[in-house]
Amino acid sequence: MHEHSLEDTKNGNRVAIVGNPNVGKSVIFGLLTGRYATVSNYPGTTVTLTSGSCKAGGEDLWVTDTPGVNTLIPMSEDEVVTRDILLNQAIKLVVQVADAKNPSRGLQISLQLAEMGLPFMLVLNMWDEANSRGIDINVKKLSDAIGITVIPTIGVQRKGIKELRESLTEERYSSLSISYGNLIEDGIKKLEAILPQSRISRRSIALMLLAGDASLKPWLNKNVSPSDVTTIDAIRRDLQNKFYEPLGYVINQIRLKKAEKIVEGVLSRHQKSGSNVTVHIGKWAMHPVWGIPVLLAALFLMYEFVGVLGAQVLVGLLEEGLFGNYINPYMTFIAERFIPDLFFRDLFVGEYGIITMALTYSIALILPIVGTFFIAFGILEDSGYLPRLAIMVHKIFKLMGLHGKAVLPMVLGLGCDTMATFTARVMETRKERVIVTLLLALGVPCSAQLGVILGMLGGVSLTATLVWAFSVILVIFLVGYLSSKVLKGESSDFVFDIPPLRIPVLSNIVFKTLSRTEWYLKEAVPLFIVGTLILFTLDKIGGLEVIERIASPVVVSFLGLPAKATEAFLIGFLRRDYGAAGLFALAQNGQLNPNQVVISLVTITLFVPCVANLLVMIKERGLKTGLAIVAFIFPFAFLVGGVLNFVFNLLGIKL
Amino acid sequence: MMDYKRSRDQFEEDRIDEVLETIWMLREEGEARKDDVRKRSEDPNVEQVLTIVESEQLVITDKGCLSFSPHGEKRAESVIRRHRLAERLLSEVFEIEEKQLEDHACELEHTHVLSEVVVDSICTFLGHPPTCPHGKAIPGGECCKKFSNELKPLVVPLTELHIGGDARIVFISSKYHARLDRLSSLGIVPGSIIRLHQKQPTYLIKIGETELALDRELAKEIFVKKMQHG
Repeated sequence: MHEHSLEDTKNGNRVAIVGNPNVGKSVIFGLLTGRYATVSNYPGTTVTLTSGSCKAGGEDLWVTDTPGVNTLIPMSEDEVVTRDILLNQAIKLVVQVADAKNPSRGLQISLQLAEMGLPFMLVLNMWDEANSRGIDINVKKLSDAIGITVIPTIGVQRKGIKELRESLTEERYSSLSISYGNLIEDGIKKLEAILPQSRISRRSIALMLLAGDASLKPWLNKNVSPSDVTTIDAIRRDLQNKFYEPLGYVINQIRLKKAEKIVEGVLSRHQKSGSNVTVHIGKWAMHPVWGIPVLLAALFLMYEFVGVLGAQVLVGLLEEGLFGNYINPYMTFIAERFIPDLFFRDLFVGEYGIITMALTYSIALILPIVGTFFIAFGILEDSGYLPRLAIMVHKIFKLMGLHGKAVLPMVLGLGCDTMATFTARVMETRKERVIVTLLLALGVPCSAQLGVILGMLGGVSLTATLVWAFSVILVIFLVGYLSSKVLKGESSDFVFDIPPLRIPVLSNIVFKTLSRTEWYLKEAVPLFIVGTLILFTLDKIGGLEVIERIASPVVVSFLGLPAKATEAFLIGFLRRDYGAAGLFALAQNGQLNPNQVVISLVTITLFVPCVANLLVMIKERGLKTGLAIVAFIFPFAFLVGGVLNFVFNLLGIKL
Repeated sequence: MMDYKRSRDQFEEDRIDEVLETIWMLREEGEARKDDVRKRSEDPNVEQVLTIVESEQLVITDKGCLSFSPHGEKRAESVIRRHRLAERLLSEVFEIEEKQLEDHACELEHTHVLSEVVVDSICTFLGHPPTCPHGKAIPGGECCKKFSNELKPLVVPLTELHIGGDARIVFISSKYHARLDRLSSLGIVPGSIIRLHQKQPTYLIKIGETELALDRELAKEIFVKKMQHG
């Protein structure tokens, strides 16, 4: 909008929100700026920076929301983002958000911010949860102890936000300091002498280097001469030799002790205000036995809501009702009257028309499914069930070289694979990120596609649905297992924060669903139109027949499908949900038998999700990896389809 | 630096210990024949040592078969106990590979850093293990007699803790720096008090107001001391 004035506010008026994972940074961000950043109840929702402007005390501030960190020494890609903004950008004020239930974990970060010499304030969020657990923090005492403003808030109830906004103009520096003992202090002094002046204190950079922060390498190479880099390495190694334990661990322990000491002075406990239902459900959801019925119940409810209400009832209303009875006949009528030329008429309302195909597919067929999925998924996210799911499936994921944490991107992939590919950043090693990216692109159907598929299969039989699901899950598992053996690199440890189960806040579900649906429409509808235009053009110049003939050995002979299915695969290259929608139309016209439905659906499920997903893969994993994944996926998808066809014929299976 | 004579004596003592150990092990397998001791021993001058142990009446020879005298038995037992506890310590706590175990355990045994008191504390620390990592019996010491009354070992890996139990972390033994860094950033450091909630499908612990899920692999490396009121 006002790019120029925004640039001005960015310079010198930047406020960064930082803090531990899942403490409500994005909620606070939303309340300050009025911009929506995705809020969920699990760590790692925010993996990139989101910024927005905020007025406070007559000043225009530029507020940035960052991914959560447990220490400012990053361990995964999303954490690097947070450290780098503090390291490389002029920050007027840091707003540190901490969980009031876990003040000592928050203070570990406060100590580091104080070391960096950055002005900051501390927000103790989820004050209500701390209270109901019998925790009382003396805000005044804490504020005196660390020398900065401390504000208790309850983000989701907007409590404390006014006070927070009012103190955004104060620039207070913390009085906290910490001594790491003679040996380490000596090392710090030696490094301080070499390090250049920068935005944060030399002492803090020295400590990061001593702790063995490899992610600082690029910064070092840019700011320090190569010979000094060697000296720094030598100093670090020298000091490490004097300790039995890794220095990073020693430093963390000292910080934690200090943090706990501060907390001791300000925290008191009173009687807990009774246990509640969510605590019990939260426990059952992770229980080795009861966790399974809870999982099945969650799946069932989801199926009823998305598969039945969305894919059957709403699609029926929109596709047959709205589009079939009203929009399409009406538009055709108008077109016939006002567009005399047959060519242009077909462009809008023909077999491959923008209205009759692209809009009908995207609005009538897919939107209700995506919409209901986003609502269901939002509830799942905000309840805190997903981390519990991570526990339940951890062992299966371990066989694929991943761990439970990979559930988050994989389940998010059921919503949108493109968004989920970004989330792969929460995985700590490159190997894990590549496997997650590959499996998302290969086998995790996004909600749009899933809806169409379930809608189609529901019309065939339960057995067909199970055969499809089993084939896809088997493929995901096999490819995951094999790639964990083939790909070099390590897998990371599974240590995972389990947030409490909470009752979702309606307004957040609404916001989240709206912003995701908007994103989907912006992302998908243009591509649907492009795909339709390609088909339209090919049809008019007779190219469609040529392609169908060329593809015939694969589609007709190998997969055992009608030649017409080639069209669906063709647009499936653009978006596989669109391809699935094409198959849906074929099945509705009775052109596919049950076996063919399953074969064609398994094949298209294994396609790369969409062009946008491809671009994100290349952006996140690099051109080489991205292209390698694509080069693997398409032939492999057809191969699996062909094998399925072969198995059906061999065993004489008629679904 | 070291007095020549003393170090030579120590060397000789070590050779005696070595032969006593060999005899003990042969006895475990059935009987300790003198010929087998000669074959099994790595000492180039085993004959000389055999003469010493006989003349010092540590060992009694009867028709080519060796048995311990009471004080020989005691000394051999102490050597074996030291050796096998050392093996156990190295494999469990420091995760030394099995191949290297033997070498290190022998070094520890020979340098005699393990005095009787230290050996007893290691034994207690490890929870009075009945066997060495290779499954051979570890002779019990004074501490083990007390142990049978107290029942519970002092320090156990988290995997041995009962569900619902409170415990204090004593140490974390990991080869991986990144693992220690990560755990410490979450507040899992020696001194922290945790409660174990479940072991399946993953470990679940509560530390302060934080609930954490952990893989078994990590739980194995976190050694805890059970607290009295659980």
